[in-house]
Amino acid sequence: MRVRYVVRKLGWAAVTLMFVLCFNFFLFRIMPGDPAGLLARSQRLTETEIAEQRAIFGLDKPLMSQFWTYLHETFTGNLGTSYLTGQPVLETISSRVWPTVLLVGVGTSVAIWLGLRMGIKGGWHRGSTYDRTSLYGSLTLYSTPEGWLGMMLLIIFAGSLGWFPVGGYDSGEDLSGLAHVIDVAKHLFLPAATLALGYGASYMIVMRSSLLEVKDEDFVATARAKGLTETMVRRRHAVPNAFLPSFTLIVLSFGFVLGGSIVIETIFSYPGIGLLTYQAIDAYDYPVLQGVFLISSVAVVIANLLADITYGFLDPRIEEV
Amino acid sequence: MNRTARRLLAVAGIGSVLALAVPLSATTSASSAEGTPTVLRVGVPNDLTTANPLSLRSGSDWNVATIQYDMMLQFGNEDLSPQPGLADGCEPNKDMTEWTCTFQKGVLWSDGEPFTAADVAFTYKLIIDQDISTYAQYFSDGTTFETPDDNTLVWKSPTPTSQPLTPPWIYILPEHVWSQYADLEKADLRAVENVPSVTTGPYTLTEVNRGQNWTLTKNPNYWGDEPNFDEIRFQLFTNQDAMAQALKNGDIDVATYFDSALLPSLESDPNITVQRNASDWWLNLAFNFGGQSPDSDPLPALQDKTVRTAIAMAIDKQGIVDKAYDGAAEPGTSFIHEIPQRWHYDVPEADQIPYDPDAANAMLDDAGYARAEDGVRVDPATGDRLALRMPISQETAGALPAGQLIVGYLDQIGVEVKILPVNEGKMYSYWNTGNWDAYIWYWTGEPDPNYQLTTLMSDQCGELSDGCWKNTEYDRLVTQQKDIIDPDQRQAVVHDALALSYAEVPSIALAYPNNIEAYRNDQVTNFTPVPGDTGYLIPNYNNVGMVTVEPVSGSASTGADASTGMSAWGWVAVIGGVGVAAFLFYRRRSRVDDEEG
Repeated sequence: MRVRYVVRKLGWAAVTLMFVLCFNFFLFRIMPGDPAGLLARSQRLTETEIAEQRAIFGLDKPLMSQFWTYLHETFTGNLGTSYLTGQPVLETISSRVWPTVLLVGVGTSVAIWLGLRMGIKGGWHRGSTYDRTSLYGSLTLYSTPEGWLGMMLLIIFAGSLGWFPVGGYDSGEDLSGLAHVIDVAKHLFLPAATLALGYGASYMIVMRSSLLEVKDEDFVATARAKGLTETMVRRRHAVPNAFLPSFTLIVLSFGFVLGGSIVIETIFSYPGIGLLTYQAIDAYDYPVLQGVFLISSVAVVIANLLADITYGFLDPRIEEV
Repeated sequence: MNRTARRLLAVAGIGSVLALAVPLSATTSASSAEGTPTVLRVGVPNDLTTANPLSLRSGSDWNVATIQYDMMLQFGNEDLSPQPGLADGCEPNKDMTEWTCTFQKGVLWSDGEPFTAADVAFTYKLIIDQDISTYAQYFSDGTTFETPDDNTLVWKSPTPTSQPLTPPWIYILPEHVWSQYADLEKADLRAVENVPSVTTGPYTLTEVNRGQNWTLTKNPNYWGDEPNFDEIRFQLFTNQDAMAQALKNGDIDVATYFDSALLPSLESDPNITVQRNASDWWLNLAFNFGGQSPDSDPLPALQDKTVRTAIAMAIDKQGIVDKAYDGAAEPGTSFIHEIPQRWHYDVPEADQIPYDPDAANAMLDDAGYARAEDGVRVDPATGDRLALRMPISQETAGALPAGQLIVGYLDQIGVEVKILPVNEGKMYSYWNTGNWDAYIWYWTGEPDPNYQLTTLMSDQCGELSDGCWKNTEYDRLVTQQKDIIDPDQRQAVVHDALALSYAEVPSIALAYPNNIEAYRNDQVTNFTPVPGDTGYLIPNYNNVGMVTVEPVSGSASTGADASTGMSAWGWVAVIGGVGVAAFLFYRRRSRVDDEEG
């Protein structure tokens, strides 16, 4: 039964990936305009030269022919060459993966830790000053656009106070060892904080409401009747049963780690996948866009798959659905 | 949570944040330490697209290439006229089909190899053989090069030419490095990165972290004066506010390509000096005359010079400068911007088309373009309403607000405008097909006027021409100026061509926007703007400015970033403290849990 469940989920993941692969190709070609035409003014090209450039990009061929070439190349591990830089897409993306994993990984981890703690405490002490403060604070942060929040943090902590750098992954100095780690951490702080504050609020809200649902269940009352302390009742009985919705959110969040955050990375000039996506959109760089979306999609699909499978183990009732 | 543990954690957390934060505050006052390389830190909003001088694209690409490489003859500091560079000069034969250029002796490439005339011949041949269009335009078909000795290049053209004195804006490449790429396909050749680079200029590109920063290091073999900085580090800021803030904080020494909206903030800081350059591009409104493709369908009334002139009269260029560029621009006049001053044609007041909506209305009334009930005029010949479809390049600074202003300006004279804000790629599609009436885009030329003048020639319809305007007299003048060597004689013919195109109104130069640069006057000094006092600080035409710029005494930017301001042991102590606090907290909690359980 369990094997069939896993196989079914794997099958759906494969179908989703195939759909994403095809969708990626057509999605960017819907955008109005011509990638070769972007060079018209900046490189002072004539119509004839632009046509030649289009041929170099492979855009002179019929759309379906381009599509089959794209599929063939992708399946052979070649994601193409960037229109903008002429460099291989895989190499271009690889150089941006680590900063994004660091930023989104740290930001998401802090958000999870902070959000779950606040949600558990607020939900368990519903109506308390802590609960009200954290709930209103979370709702405010949740509804705040992350771009605006990032700009505020930048203006206050990098601008007025001058505590942190205004952007970048590191200072570019020739540092090594601990000095380099500290340099990277300083540059990471504000973008990661922006991410953590925004995401943390959503974890808080979800965890709190889940806990409220189970808080008055019979099994919780039974645990209390057995003489367990409030801490033990909360930690061993209430929280594990209220955790499933947050668990899904967590696993999916990690699926988005590879996608980066376009807004935050652009505001803080942070050289990750998000910023690469922004630059690729700006330059109609189809191969890079396809590559980024494909890799991000694969990460999300895998995360979703893991969530589904783990969910089945955590709550066997789900497999029967 | 135990209260003591909570306090410990809070203290440790705050301590960590402050520890991360405090050293940075010290960055701004970091001073040059003995033996530490001095670094000029430059903020830019454009990423380095390529380090290959054959495929330059973004502003940053040009900046970096200009700092590293030399041309055969270089642009002069004052007016971009040809000056000795790698070559001391070029002399023509009698019929100007053969030019002999002599080069400096003793010049070395950054890797120690000797520079010779063969490197110049190799570069030029590579461009011709690979047909790299941006540069191949300098050479007539059949041009050849000979190098009778290491210091002499003979440029042979089948037709008379003055191109060696343009001078060709081509950066000279080392044959001993680039010959291995000469047989590549053009696309592959243009993707060659060549980092670390081998150059003859004052700096070489030694490191590229695309999307973040790129570093140039002083060339030990540079033939000119020794630069004052050991390194130049460009830092990418995709957020202009952040770039301004970094300059205010002293995290960077100089920055370029600022939005005009940041001018008040920059100018209010006494430690920042703002440079408003006459930039190398301008905002242009082109009319469509049709003929680009079978889909080309411009409004027939635009063939009538009266209509075009009335539209030009109704546009308040000063209003565009004030509102679309916050005053950081000059009202446009003729079809070549103000760099270089020699070729720009300052239209005499008597010949100018003034801003006068009333006179424009009268002109249209007299020509029979009566207003319909909705106030829009009608073409008496065709019955068409004077309604313009106007694509606008929304990525061109100031273009969209200018277009929005023009809707109001032209409404006053009974001309309806439907603006279509689109991206660059879509602008090209409009340009290509010709299904538009007027559009707003930019033009960027080069110091020599030839390319820019060519874009309005009749034979450029479907190639470079915006709207396929055709005028035989204009074509004659542009052809004539190409081979005039005497600058004054050539200037006169160029100005005649520009006066004609201004009067005939195939397009309207709306504004010459400023490029805004700014630097910390307490950290760096002695830039050499090019061209002239209102020129670029960050090199765009020659690399002189990067040789003369120097740190202000006692406050140089250094490689010793204050990120290391706290000793590593200090950091070990802070991180250790956090660890101990966390350990104490969890041990305490475990004990409480055990007791409770």
